[in-house]
Amino acid sequence: MKRVILVADDSPTIRKFVSVALTVKGYDIISCSDGMEALEKLPNNKIDLLITDLNMPNVDGFELINIVRNNSDLKELPIIVLSSLGSNDDIQRGLECGANSYLIKPFDPKRVLYEVSKYLN
Amino acid sequence: MESKNNMENVFSKLGDLKQFFVFGQKIVPVIQKIIDFMSDVVPLLENVNNSIQDSTSKIPKASTQINSVTSANEIATSEILDIIDAMFLDLSTIKTGLQELKNDENSEKIKSLNEVVEKIEMDSSRITISLQVQDITAQQLASVNHLIDSVQNKLSSLLCDLGKQQDRPIPVFDPNSVSEQDSDFAFSDGTFNENARYDRTTEKQDLVDSLVLENTKTSQEEIDKLFAK
Repeated sequence: MKRVILVADDSPTIRKFVSVALTVKGYDIISCSDGMEALEKLPNNKIDLLITDLNMPNVDGFELINIVRNNSDLKELPIIVLSSLGSNDDIQRGLECGANSYLIKPFDPKRVLYEVSKYLN
Repeated sequence: MESKNNMENVFSKLGDLKQFFVFGQKIVPVIQKIIDFMSDVVPLLENVNNSIQDSTSKIPKASTQINSVTSANEIATSEILDIIDAMFLDLSTIKTGLQELKNDENSEKIKSLNEVVEKIEMDSSRITISLQVQDITAQQLASVNHLIDSVQNKLSSLLCDLGKQQDRPIPVFDPNSVSEQDSDFAFSDGTFNENARYDRTTEKQDLVDSLVLENTKTSQEEIDKLFAK
């Protein structure tokens, strides 16, 4: 059975980058453009892992991670942050919210694959 | 005696009046200069006002053009990614085919062909990293658009203060005038990182990894193993 990954990013090209990198390795990708859409899709699909940006409209990545970690059904969901925010404060904040991994843009697709397989294999 | 005092008083008042006229004679040229200066400055201010109005009317167009650039870059990047995606699938098919052709006679040739396929895969992967510059520049352009928007607001309020809005309507940026193609970027206010940089060094990621290690106690050996591949 294919593992399902939810990708939340307001940049269509980043959603595509992640999709190209992961579908070739046999993962199913569901994409959404903001945190609000991600919150709508999370309970309705059997999501195995969440990849999220931090700067997003409506509900940003920090809030999305917070909500997921405070939800009893989703709190164990592995979360990988993919962001161009690279200051110590942003990284610390992302990790404190509950992200498992934090990757800086531009990212190496191999590194994304490594992080994904770390949690799903 | 009383009439003498009155006369002295009148002379004193006349003296004051004379001094006032002398002062008036001195001040008249200064007032004239001020009036001349004002008549020179008013057309200049009118010019400034017109320039501001003209610039303000051009700002929405500049903003739309920036959105168009972002949109065109995004479409082109997406097309390239589609091609790379198809290439990955083709390469996977070639790899499987080569595996099936493998026998004692041609194993060396198959091996070298596999190496070529792997090199193409690696190069394609490098192209995808480079293409991420589109996302970074899109964020930088969104930041510029945000700045343009702020300048337009300031200029509009300045025009209001100058009281010229009754003569000519002040152009205000109308999001509905932006084409559908550009709309993704026109409303992304506040969702960009103005400090986004296309930095291919691993310096930032190394910092993140060290912080993640502190937080999650992930084995450094695993990360080293990844980059040793």
